[in-house]
Amino acid sequence: MIKQLIILFYFLTGVMTPSISIALVIGSDQEEIYIDANFSGEELLVFGAFYSDPSQSRDSKSDILIEVVGPLEDVALRKKDSYFGFWLNSKSVTFRDVPGFYYLSSTSELADEFLINNQIGLLEKKKSEMIDWSLLTTDWGSIINEKEKEEFYNALIRTKQNDSLYKQVSDEIEIIDGNLFRSYIDIPNTVPVGEYTVNLHLIIDNEISQEYSYNFMVTRVGIEEAIYSFSKNYPFFYGLISLIIAIIIGWSGAEIFKRFRRI
Amino acid sequence: MSIYLPIAELSVNIFLLLSLGGVVGFLSGMFGLGGGFLMTPLLIFIGIPTNVAVATSANQIVASSISGTLGHWRQGLVDFKMGGVLLIGAFFGSILGVWIFSRLVAIGQIDTVISILYFALLTGIGLSMLIESSKVIRDRIRRKNVKRKIHYHNWAHRLPFKVRFYKSKLYISVIPPIIIGFVIGILSATMGIGGAFILIPAMIYFLGMPTSKVIGTSLFQIIFITALVTILHATTTFAVDAVLAFFLILSSVIGAQVGVLAANKLRGEEIRALLAIIVLGVATKIALDLLVEPNEIFNLSVIRLVF
Repeated sequence: MIKQLIILFYFLTGVMTPSISIALVIGSDQEEIYIDANFSGEELLVFGAFYSDPSQSRDSKSDILIEVVGPLEDVALRKKDSYFGFWLNSKSVTFRDVPGFYYLSSTSELADEFLINNQIGLLEKKKSEMIDWSLLTTDWGSIINEKEKEEFYNALIRTKQNDSLYKQVSDEIEIIDGNLFRSYIDIPNTVPVGEYTVNLHLIIDNEISQEYSYNFMVTRVGIEEAIYSFSKNYPFFYGLISLIIAIIIGWSGAEIFKRFRRI
Repeated sequence: MSIYLPIAELSVNIFLLLSLGGVVGFLSGMFGLGGGFLMTPLLIFIGIPTNVAVATSANQIVASSISGTLGHWRQGLVDFKMGGVLLIGAFFGSILGVWIFSRLVAIGQIDTVISILYFALLTGIGLSMLIESSKVIRDRIRRKNVKRKIHYHNWAHRLPFKVRFYKSKLYISVIPPIIIGFVIGILSATMGIGGAFILIPAMIYFLGMPTSKVIGTSLFQIIFITALVTILHATTTFAVDAVLAFFLILSSVIGAQVGVLAANKLRGEEIRALLAIIVLGVATKIALDLLVEPNEIFNLSVIRLVF
């Protein structure tokens, strides 16, 4: 199933900044993930190599950072409140252009300051007063107070995390031989379809030294895709066909068993 | 082995689906019910989104009610004229029902409303079945034969637009059946049920139809009502999952036939009391979900994918 399409790209820093010779070499084992009838999630392999500059001082710290950003979507986040003992949806907030999937992984825990300065990450690193609400272009409904906004923002992250759609880790990248790295990223079966971007950064002494990005697609294929697009494009005929199937099975089921009972 | 459902957009265990369909089919075959009132909440319990559960359940009921109608039709127990009049009301009721449904989805209250409706419905069905079956059991112990009236005369017989329903030997106004159909239409579209357990007593007590014709006629009109609801949901809420429906229909049709066979071999009241307890159990679970503080008081739903 996995298309063993190896894209091996590499960058030599020499191209951009000829004085330093540091390289980041990136590979990935696939450029598409297919959702078919048996889809139950998949592991995305991201691997590569990085070469340090020999002239670099020995105590400088290098890190690899992998970011996977899924297609953007609008989401409604609703909060339940208790009314006469019943837990009912009450307040609602609409978040616009939220990634349907977000994964951030690094070889060691990175400072909040670094992430914020480089505009990486949307997870809990962006704490309270640091959240720039305007970036989220949301419809806050009846909510005006900052504390409640923050509560909703945290709940957005939390619910996405609970669905395995958001994740931030610092222990999933394997380093082999000091120069090779490899990481398996869990793509759960609830991921939205669309275009995903993988961003890789080589960080040296809290500065991004190398960057590389590539895209992959999550697509529905086979009968699943056929059914899905048919239901959206020709809803009336889709409904009609669903009915005809029901009629045929219902009718023939009764006929078959009637014969059984006679015997 | 799991299968990915294209409309629900999640994968579920195929054996779980087949056994769910089989069990609901078995119960519906045994008691002559559509089974939608159990199918929808059980689908929601296994994680199917509420809108998909409701719409797909309607599609499944089409199949099970066709299976059921055939037998009654062959024996001449279907009053097509009464069925047609009920359908006039049901047509408008289901259009209104689907509209209400999509409004509730839009404002994010569909889950709550469905839960409350189901709680009320299942508690009602469960309690009445429990009372009825225990009464029959008690009467049997006392060897009592309860005589029933064949005809009920009430306000339904005094309204205008009277029509003669030869098959049911009735001469009543068309207004009560149209109203009954209308109400069933709303319930069918919002809850994914055929509504037989409301329709049947309404036909007997409000319309005074003979009991022998009631089941066939109600099944007959449920085919059309759920067919219409399926089409309406497919075109407005896009929530009918054909793959889910296929597996449920397949297993429930088989389950229903086994249930019919089992019903002939087993004594009715005890099993009916058992079903009543199952129904009340489901109602309790729904009530607890509403009453107990949830672990996560926030819930997220995707409104639109940005391309």
